[in-house]
Amino acid sequence: MAALDEKPELGEAPEKGNEPKTLTIEAEICFKCGVCCVIRDHSCHAQHAIHFNPKHTYVYDCLGSGDPAGNSNIWLCVSCHKCEELCPYEVSPVHIIESLKAQSFEEGRAHPLIVGEIKQIVSTGYAFPLTGSSSRQREKLGLEALTQRSEEDLRRISEKTGLVAKLQRYEVEET
Amino acid sequence: MRFSLFLGCFIPVRLPHIEKVARSVLGEIGVELQDIGGFTCCPEPVGFHINDRLTATAIAARNIALAEEQGNDIITLCNGCTYVLKQVNEELKRDSELRDKVNEVLSETDHEYRGTIDVKHFAQVLNEDIGLDRLAKKVERPLSGLSVAGHTGCHILSPPDVMKFDDPYDPVVLDNMVAALGAEPADFSMKTICCGWTLTNYGERQSANQLVGAKLQAMEIAGSDCISVICPQCFYQFDTGQMMATRSLKLDLKLPVLFYLQLLGLSMGYSLEDVHYGMHRVKSQGFEEKVGRILA
Ligand code: SF4
Ligand code: SF4
Repeated sequence: MAALDEKPELGEAPEKGNEPKTLTIEAEICFKCGVCCVIRDHSCHAQHAIHFNPKHTYVYDCLGSGDPAGNSNIWLCVSCHKCEELCPYEVSPVHIIESLKAQSFEEGRAHPLIVGEIKQIVSTGYAFPLTGSSSRQREKLGLEALTQRSEEDLRRISEKTGLVAKLQRYEVEET
Repeated sequence: MRFSLFLGCFIPVRLPHIEKVARSVLGEIGVELQDIGGFTCCPEPVGFHINDRLTATAIAARNIALAEEQGNDIITLCNGCTYVLKQVNEELKRDSELRDKVNEVLSETDHEYRGTIDVKHFAQVLNEDIGLDRLAKKVERPLSGLSVAGHTGCHILSPPDVMKFDDPYDPVVLDNMVAALGAEPADFSMKTICCGWTLTNYGERQSANQLVGAKLQAMEIAGSDCISVICPQCFYQFDTGQMMATRSLKLDLKLPVLFYLQLLGLSMGYSLEDVHYGMHRVKSQGFEEKVGRILA
C-alpha cells in the first residue's frame, strides 16, 4: 500500500481539461464503513440495485474490484455527490468513479449506450433522436419544429479535442 | 427581466407540453424569454461531461458564449443542464489557463467564451429574481388542501457551493415554492434519494422499479395527492417510470406528477387541460376531482 502522502503514478501529464483525478490514494483511504451507501433515506441510489448489500456496497464494488474501469457497475453512478458529502474520511467516491468512467471511455470500453449518446450529441446537437411522435406532438401544441442544431460547430469542436479519434476506436470494434 | 431560454433536449424532444407551459407561464409572470437557434445539448452530464471533459466543457462554453452574444443570463428548465452549464461557467471564470485552452478549441467556431453571464435554473429565477412573495401575488386560485410531494432531484443540489440552491441534506426550497401557491408540502422519507435515472438506463429494470416504488410508497404514506418536480428526467421517472414500477411490483397507487410550472399554472387560473395533464401517463381520478373542487 502506498504511503498516504505519496503522489500517485499518473503517467504522462494529460491535456488541460482532461486530467484524471488522483485515483489510488483516495480509493485506498476508504475504510469500507458503508456510510455512503447504507443510509436508506439519504445516500447512494445505486445501492438500491438488487445485487448490493450492507457488506458489499455499491461504492466498494466500484472502488474495490480488480479491474475497476472494466466494472460495468460504474455506469450506475449518477454523480449526485451524496457519497462525497456523507463520507467521514474525505474519500470522494464520485470523483473516483467519474475518473474510472473517463478512463473506460478513453480505452474504448465504455457502455455502448454512453458511446451512442455521445455520437448522437455531436452529430445532431440533441441527446435523443428526433422522432416522428415528438414532431407530431410539437405540431399539435403549436410549437416550432425541431431541426438538427449546429452540427458543423460540434464536428469542429470534437475534431479539435480528439473526441472524433476516440470514437473511431469504437467504430473499428463495431466493424 | 430577460433571459436566453436554454431548453436542453429532454423537454423539447420528449416532453414538449412542458415547453409549452413553461413559455406561457413564465411569460405571464414577467420573465421574457429569448430563443437562440444555435444552442445544442448542454451536453448531458452523466453520458458526456464526465467521459470527455474537454469536449463537453467546450460545447458548454459555446452555449454560454451564444447567450453572452445575446447579452442575457441563461434560464434553464432542467437540473442536468443547470449542473453542467453552471459548473463549466464557474470553472472557466476561475481558471484562466483552462479558459484559454477552451477558447482555442472554440476558435474553430465563430464564438468565444468571455465569462460575462450567469446560468440560472427557473426555480432560482423564481426564488431570487422574482421572489416567492411576488410569485404568491400571481396566485389567483390558491391550491389549498392539495398535498404535494416535492422531489428536488440531485443535480441542482450538489455540489452545493457551485449550485447554490438548497441544502442537499434537507432541501426546503421546492417546498417553499409549493407553499407559495397555497398547497401543502408533504413531508416524506427518502426525499433526497435520486429518481433512479441511471438505474433505469444502465442497470436492471427491476432495480429501478424497486427504487421508484419505494419512493412512491413513502410519498403515499405521507398523504400526498401528487408529486412536483423541477427536472424533466425526474418527471419521466415519476410518470413513465411510475407506470412501469407499479405494474411490475403490483402496487395499487397512482400519484400524478406535475412539473412545478404546471402547478404554478393551475394556481394562476389554468385548467388541467391547459397544462396538458392529458398527455401524462399517470392520471388519477381522485387527484382530478380534488383539483376540480379546489379550482371551482
Ligand atoms: S467511501 Fe467513505 S463512507 Fe464510503 S465506505 Fe469508504 S470510507 Fe465509508
Ligand atoms: S455520486 Fe455516484 S457513487 Fe456517489 S452516491 Fe451518487 S450515485 Fe452513488
